[in-house]
Amino acid sequence: MAEFEALLTAKAEWKPHQIAKAGDISALASAATNLAEIVKSSLELARNGMEVVKLLAALQNINPILVALDKLADEVLKQIHDLKEAGYWYLYVDPYFKGNVTGTHPFDYGFEQLRNEAGKRYWQIKNDSGNWEDTTTKPEMIDLDQKKARPKLVTPRKLIAGGYNWFDPLPDPLEGQSKFPQFSVKNVINEFVKAFDDEGDVPRYRKNAKDSDLPKKDDISKGMDDSAASVVYDIDGNPFRGWDPAEDFGLELFDMGKRTAEQSRWPLDYEASRKPINTKVSIGKPNILGNTEFDGGSGAIAIIIAADNFDKFASVFNEFSKMFSDIPEFSADQGQNLLNKLKEIITPNDVKVSLTQVDTKYEKFVAGDIISGKRYGSLGEVRSVNSSATTATSMKGQKVIKVIDDLGEPLKDKEGDIIEVLEEIDLNPDERWVDMEIMVKPMRGVDGYNPWTPGDTVLEMEKRGKFGNSEATTAETGIDYYDNYVMVGAETVTLPKNLRVYPKIGKVLVETLQVLPDSTPPDFDGIQIKDIVPGWGEFFQELENFVKQIKGMIIDSTGFIQEMINMLAQIEDFLEHLIKLIDKFLEFFRITLPSSGVFALYIPNQNGGNEGLKKEIKNATGIPDMGYASGILFIGTEGDKLIAGGGSKNPIDLLALVLGLLN
Amino acid sequence: MAEESKWKEAEIRRDDIKKLLENTKKLAEMYTDVLQIKRTGWENVLRARAKKEAKEKQNG
Repeated sequence: MAEFEALLTAKAEWKPHQIAKAGDISALASAATNLAEIVKSSLELARNGMEVVKLLAALQNINPILVALDKLADEVLKQIHDLKEAGYWYLYVDPYFKGNVTGTHPFDYGFEQLRNEAGKRYWQIKNDSGNWEDTTTKPEMIDLDQKKARPKLVTPRKLIAGGYNWFDPLPDPLEGQSKFPQFSVKNVINEFVKAFDDEGDVPRYRKNAKDSDLPKKDDISKGMDDSAASVVYDIDGNPFRGWDPAEDFGLELFDMGKRTAEQSRWPLDYEASRKPINTKVSIGKPNILGNTEFDGGSGAIAIIIAADNFDKFASVFNEFSKMFSDIPEFSADQGQNLLNKLKEIITPNDVKVSLTQVDTKYEKFVAGDIISGKRYGSLGEVRSVNSSATTATSMKGQKVIKVIDDLGEPLKDKEGDIIEVLEEIDLNPDERWVDMEIMVKPMRGVDGYNPWTPGDTVLEMEKRGKFGNSEATTAETGIDYYDNYVMVGAETVTLPKNLRVYPKIGKVLVETLQVLPDSTPPDFDGIQIKDIVPGWGEFFQELENFVKQIKGMIIDSTGFIQEMINMLAQIEDFLEHLIKLIDKFLEFFRITLPSSGVFALYIPNQNGGNEGLKKEIKNATGIPDMGYASGILFIGTEGDKLIAGGGSKNPIDLLALVLGLLN
Repeated sequence: MAEESKWKEAEIRRDDIKKLLENTKKLAEMYTDVLQIKRTGWENVLRARAKKEAKEKQNG
């Protein structure tokens, strides 16, 4: 239920982002800053130190290196400064992982239509004598309208996803139907555009403390000078009425503040004594200082990941998420979950299902059987059978026995009624019905996964055609084309008993909860900056202390020189380690994300504000409408200062440059 | 009239991270070189000192 409620309230929200200030990348940036700063502060020392080592032959060579190093350290610091200056809003539209929007299944429900072994649908045509004849030739619409043809439906009728569509009966509902919920490119663009109009997506502040510590709910009928009025104040000290601790408000609020004993003789310094009564919990759409109707210079970069089948979408999306691991939704931990989540959508974990009353007259289930729940539509392949758990089903019944005397006459009680006793009997004396425990690999049906519901009848299934995208069948095209299953012998149900084919049959007793398998190591394994950085922190601290120590000492003690030589060797070792780790990272970031499946729209700084961006995003052309898509929209607003080497006042232009969109 | 915006298939890169990593690596490499030179220099100083002390001892 909670999940359902979450879905109802789920929506894409704007969030702020700064390169080099988020997640792992921030740790890397701070480590690089430390290195650059320490290098700079120790350069001076190096030069001074060289005075003492005048004998050193290499002295002639070292000065140019020091100059170059100084310059490089400056460049690193400048780059980090630029990246830190560059702030954006971003909007992440995600139907599949966190689910802040909801995809839809493209099928309709209808009665199941019988199919031949090739998966072609059976129809019935009225012949000249007025009898119905089976055929797999698709009839004309007019024949269906005039009742000269009709679909051959399963007996008894069964409602299934992708069943017979009375309103549009000729196209096969399984053709082009995917089992994954769809969220198309158009839907993503629509979310981008809608987000600018979302009146609710404004900064929100939530109360800080317990209600008893906050100003009480304000009764606005009281006058401002009424001592019972509960007035609150904004950051500038402007009073506001209508405070209610149960509500969120769109601005930061403070109480009136209290005088301390010290202040009691002086007028109240409200800035010093006030306490904030709420904290910002959401950022709201791009704006400047809470102005949601901002119409100054702004620019945008929209990126949409899209594919025409889910498998391909999942693989591109996963690559993309790794590349943007500095965005919290894609950070390394999340990235692992994301990959698992996508994998789980495609290949879920096996489940253990206990069956009862499996009728051995039609054989027991064995590994490789495809089975389905009759009423609730669960579907899966039997992976294995726990043979030691196969036991006769306990089926007890009771029968009424009339007690008889030696003459064979029933005994009667005092009232003259015949005495009857209940006797327990075994309804499964020859052990025809058995309980089984099976491991099942769940399979997605046209309407997704359905659980194994206790009491549901489990039937053996057989292949009848395919559904999905017939062109998506390989690793290159993605895989989105699956076998369609129907009950074994479905077409023989109406035949005489001796001609019928019966499926294996049982009942679901219970699905057992499984301990989750060990998580798959993330692709980021070995290149997670956050795992490396704690060591860096200690290292830089040590290095800094070392530099400070050196500055305060006279270099004439042999012991100290030896200590310093050892320390220098340790630092060299560490730097070597650092270089190796950076190489690992670079291996990944040198790779360019393949263009296939990734679409970008760059809107350079423009003066139409949010409305201008909305219009551009809405009207941009050149992107096909594919069925599976998610997207991220970055918005940058123009600042006062020139950034990125003086080329622009809008950080969005810097982002476009570093993402390679200006080529 | 402004030119109509167009979506493009893009080979997304992260030049910001790449450049930062490359520069940091270069910085670490160059700093290592400097440290090596310094270390050799101090080792020379120590050796020269030891030699001098040994000579002074020898000369009584």
